[in-house]
Amino acid sequence: MLDRFNFSGVVEFLPQLMTGLYYTLLISVVGLLIGFVLGAIFGLGRISRIKIIYWISSVYIEVLRGTPVLVQAIWIFYALPLIIYYNFDSVTAGIIVIALNSGAYIAEIVRGAVVSIEKGQMEAGRSLGLNHRQTMRHIIWPQAFKRMIPPLGNQFIISIKDTSLLSVILVPELIFQGRLIAANHFNAVEIYTTVAVFYLAITLTLSFVLSIVERRLDV
Amino acid sequence: MITVENLHKSFGKLEVLKGIDAKIEQKEVVCVIGPSGSGKSTFLRCLNLLEEITSGDVVVDGASLNDPKTNINEVRKEVGMVFQQFNLFPHKSVIENVMLAPQKARGISKDEAQDRAQKLLEKVGLSEKADMYPNQLSGGQQQRVAIARALAMEPKVMLFDEPTSALDPELVGEVLAVMKQLAYEGMTMVVVTHEMGFAKEVGDRVLFMDEGIIMEEGNPEQIFTNPESERTKEFLNKIL
Repeated sequence: MLDRFNFSGVVEFLPQLMTGLYYTLLISVVGLLIGFVLGAIFGLGRISRIKIIYWISSVYIEVLRGTPVLVQAIWIFYALPLIIYYNFDSVTAGIIVIALNSGAYIAEIVRGAVVSIEKGQMEAGRSLGLNHRQTMRHIIWPQAFKRMIPPLGNQFIISIKDTSLLSVILVPELIFQGRLIAANHFNAVEIYTTVAVFYLAITLTLSFVLSIVERRLDV
Repeated sequence: MITVENLHKSFGKLEVLKGIDAKIEQKEVVCVIGPSGSGKSTFLRCLNLLEEITSGDVVVDGASLNDPKTNINEVRKEVGMVFQQFNLFPHKSVIENVMLAPQKARGISKDEAQDRAQKLLEKVGLSEKADMYPNQLSGGQQQRVAIARALAMEPKVMLFDEPTSALDPELVGEVLAVMKQLAYEGMTMVVVTHEMGFAKEVGDRVLFMDEGIIMEEGNPEQIFTNPESERTKEFLNKIL
């Protein structure tokens, strides 16, 4: 049944798909790195006793979790420039979307991990004369970080897949390239299957790396 | 060393401490006994401000804990605490547990912290466990590490919050032995405990708490053999 399709012909388009893969990886890696920093800041913000910090963090998390990534991408690429009189190129916009969106979910992961550390740990640190920041840094955070790894891995995989939505704001990533090729060469089955395999290869590699990290840290 | 003046503590509407006055002198070992829910632990935790004070005052080595200008971190460096659940840092080895606070809070060098930690582990009989992790130790060993960790800050007072209550019976002795040794070396200690034997043998003074106040206090001899208040008699009859 599959002989109707010419999978070996895909080789011809590999360079173009590789370009797409490059952008998918670029946006995922940079976006998630920024997203992790945002997540750490707003996650800790959400357990802050300072009201204003708590509220800012909560609004950020709720707005970004409560709206679709697709809407966020379109809003940032097409609407935001009209407000701030500044145009982003689509790759920059894509990185912003992934960073902001993953940051909101990672914030909840960070918050959950930090509050899951037994209260006695903070008390032990403080009773020794360490201040709040020292206790967070040397005692709470390292333990919380271990607990973050499984849910972070999950979020990374979700965000990598979300980058495919950025094709609507013209980011030249994998599925964008795939659609260009398929439209011109009428090889939808071959190209889209290959694209799917590419995504799977990225996420499986990540899963594998994470399982090693988990074992190393003995989560 | 520590003066407690009309200390009140409420959790919401529940008043747990209802006006406590007490004085702990240097080199004194004070045991706090009483039924559960009497406020013993809360009282102890007010002495290093792990619980905020509702009203009244606690003065530790001249520093008023109810004064917003007091730097609580400085006070806590002089007040060691040992918890019922040990609360060792599970991600750090035994010796790292003992080394951390002197380095970060006192700013001493790593080498010095290591020397100090090794001596303290020897003192509590665990020098050969230095590189193990807390979850590889028995409860009694963990609690002895916790004592070494607190001592590493070279505190002027040690607070013990039911240090043997979470231990299997056969492990209680080794922890009490370390505490006894500390007491003989002249450490000022406040010990919330159910170990009446320890209170009798080591305590200079016993405070009997019930319903948020100190019902009776005196030397162990007097409290255990000839208690004045009915409540104390009742409690001791149940427990001894």
